[in-house]
Amino acid sequence: MSTATTEAGAAPATSTTTMTVTVKILRYNPEVSEEQHWESYQVTAEPTDRVLDALHKVKWDLDGSLTFRRSCAHGVCGSDAMRINGKNRLACKTLLKDVNPSEPITVEPIKGLPVLKDLVVDMEPFFAAYRSVMPFLITTGNEPTRERLQSQKDRDRFDDTTKCILCAACTTSCPVYWTDGQYFGPQAIVGAHRFIFDSRDEGTDQRLEILNDQEGVWRCRTTFNCTEACPRGIEVTKAIQEVKRALIFRR
Amino acid sequence: MTGNRTDAGVDTGIERHEYDVVVIGAGGAGLRAAIAAHDAGARVAIVCKSLLGKAHTVMAEGGIAAAMGNLYADDNWRVHFRDTMRGGKMLNNWRMAQLHAQEAPERVLELEEWGALFDRTADGLISQRDFGGHRYARLAHVGDRTGLEMIRTLQQRAVDLDIDVFMEFTVTELFRDPSTGSGGTGGRISGAFGYWRETGRFVVFESPTVVLATGGIGKSYQVTSNSWEYTGDGHALAMRAGASLINMEFVQFHPTGMVWPPSVKGLLVTESVRGDGGVLKNAEGERFMFDYIPEFFKKETADTIEEAEGWYTDKKNHRRPPELLPRDEVARAINSEIKAGRGSPHGGVYLDIASRRSPDFIRRRLPSMYHQFKELADVDITQEPMEVGPTCHYVMGGVEVDADTEQSIVEGLYAAGEVAGGMHGSNRLGGNSLSDLLVFGRRAGHNAAYHSMRTKQRPTVSAEQVKAASAAALHPFEVEGGENPYTIQTDLQDVMQRLVGIIRTEAELRDSLAEIERLKERAKRLSVEGHRQYNPGWHLALDLANMLVVSECIAKAALERQESRGGHTRDDYPTPDDGWGALNLVLTLPSDSDSVDLKHQPLPVMPDDLKTLFEES
Repeated sequence: MSTATTEAGAAPATSTTTMTVTVKILRYNPEVSEEQHWESYQVTAEPTDRVLDALHKVKWDLDGSLTFRRSCAHGVCGSDAMRINGKNRLACKTLLKDVNPSEPITVEPIKGLPVLKDLVVDMEPFFAAYRSVMPFLITTGNEPTRERLQSQKDRDRFDDTTKCILCAACTTSCPVYWTDGQYFGPQAIVGAHRFIFDSRDEGTDQRLEILNDQEGVWRCRTTFNCTEACPRGIEVTKAIQEVKRALIFRR
Repeated sequence: MTGNRTDAGVDTGIERHEYDVVVIGAGGAGLRAAIAAHDAGARVAIVCKSLLGKAHTVMAEGGIAAAMGNLYADDNWRVHFRDTMRGGKMLNNWRMAQLHAQEAPERVLELEEWGALFDRTADGLISQRDFGGHRYARLAHVGDRTGLEMIRTLQQRAVDLDIDVFMEFTVTELFRDPSTGSGGTGGRISGAFGYWRETGRFVVFESPTVVLATGGIGKSYQVTSNSWEYTGDGHALAMRAGASLINMEFVQFHPTGMVWPPSVKGLLVTESVRGDGGVLKNAEGERFMFDYIPEFFKKETADTIEEAEGWYTDKKNHRRPPELLPRDEVARAINSEIKAGRGSPHGGVYLDIASRRSPDFIRRRLPSMYHQFKELADVDITQEPMEVGPTCHYVMGGVEVDADTEQSIVEGLYAAGEVAGGMHGSNRLGGNSLSDLLVFGRRAGHNAAYHSMRTKQRPTVSAEQVKAASAAALHPFEVEGGENPYTIQTDLQDVMQRLVGIIRTEAELRDSLAEIERLKERAKRLSVEGHRQYNPGWHLALDLANMLVVSECIAKAALERQESRGGHTRDDYPTPDDGWGALNLVLTLPSDSDSVDLKHQPLPVMPDDLKTLFEES
């Protein structure tokens, strides 16, 4: 074959050991039953395969009805956040060897949002919270006729919170969010932080006012679940603390 | 209602919506088109297969090419235009390449105005980085997550403007009103038909214009950097609506995809690694790109390590390192090294930045790459080289459009971004995609809006058309005991990878067309289980039809073009040919056939004042 680079390679030097993994998935299909139930599947996989690969194997080979979201498959788009062995993670960034594959690996939808089917949840309440903090630059005056300047230092100030991929792993790991659906949740605060600390933005007061709401930042109990859940390594709790401090300072 | 599921929740009958402009796709081009159409006063809907903000643009790493001249004052649109045309081996639509080079800086500044984060120079200007084929450091960027920032900024703008978004929604058919329109048969665009992925319920959009912004076709290949959405939907919708495709033989294999572990094979390793100093080495430790400098680029490429090294700090007095040749050249070189037995243990070559830049520099400039390798391959790129190999990344071919308006040959049907053809010729330069999305997304949106609002008598969608579209969409449920669509998809990917890959021959291309015919037959008899609610098997069955027609276009055009140019390399015709270089291959789908038609068409001729740009150097 003249084409395939893929086939031209030598045999892998770092040989991996194929193993059988049990994936235990919390299934839900409202057309069949109102109840969620666990189903276990056995798939053959490499230790370096990801949980997403195992889910694909189930879907392609064992049960085509299994439903989950995924897109870029390497942790940039934020489509495949799910609860894996009880923790919020992106399935595409979780290697099987890192989640104790000798035991069944449990996979559930993220918590706190209505489940539509299997691992797919209704993201609308999450997006509603995102929209509520006015996630866009607010400036006044004439539109610049020349390039607007921003120093690298000013730009670095909010670098961390621009890494957010809207996967909802933080918000749906938050115990406050689970019990109180009205709370904006960590992502919305991260989304606001990104503008509050942007030197170009002039909407700080409006945003802080929104977050000062009784369902705003003060509901955060600093449990750090969000920081731990964030697949992008954003210091979510720290960002929330910075917003709290900005509110106190403003008074 | 932005970001909303605009679900009317109708239980009976088919949900209907009326708009002036319906944009299909919510990546960079679709969002920019929707914003432009909104600004022009049109009622706009964005329809997208995934959740808002997850589109493929999000994965772009390197940056947005724009001759802003922030780092090199000598840069201007003419240089960018020239680089783009040369990168595309002169097969580009010159007018698109010109508009693109002229307007890209404004589009970047506009993005900044809307709040996009950029890395900055010491003076606080937008910083620009080096990329293959670009004479000057030209890519506006933020670390190696430029696409994420771009899509987020556009998404935020759409939220601000309150544009309607139909998320997790697939369009299966475009409508035309035969009683309207000038010229051509079939009339002008009157709307679109599709289904909510969640409920499986059908929706009819009535709209005098549709903007296709659906991206590419990479899912037809086995090893690809593209995500599941990339099934050539817009390409296929356009063809079925009577529009034409050009340049489909040109598929870009990005030179550096991950090759190991197997589960992430094909995942992109950004060109920024090379722009920021990374070099390619074979198993013998040799920096092999010096052996692969083609005649066409000899004048501008360093031929010694000393000169190449000097370029990073002094671009005026040194020619560029060969690692920064256009992508088609680098991909072929890597392919040759591997075939010659000088590959790395997992069938790639080495991409080394660890021995050339400090760990701190690497982590700061390439944080996503650092994490990607650390987490998925257990490789620390500040300490060890990466193993990389070619991966299907981009299709240069797409809907044939008017360069200024982005309208296809079908009145009311527009296309922008990867789904449109012509801009990149036979090979796209890195960084020219994000700028393409912004420049032509905006143009398509504006023109669609004006066109729509000038329409005195709105075209209509008939009951028969809706009935036929819904019957076609439900067809996969009717066959029982047929094949699983996943099997056919896997077989198609295998055929395209094996027979229509980087290096092509007549015999293999003929085989591929025969194979595709067999797959088309099998696809007619596939069956899906379950019901319409969130049924991924059904969704794939519908997407598969698009993948098949697009794959046929690629193979047919590749067989026809008897030369090697850009993203099309024929083992049996290894050099470029001036005759072929003056021709576009145009593909259409006749309404009475399920086989694509191919014809030759002369390229638009570049005016003399632009031609002079290619005489110097």
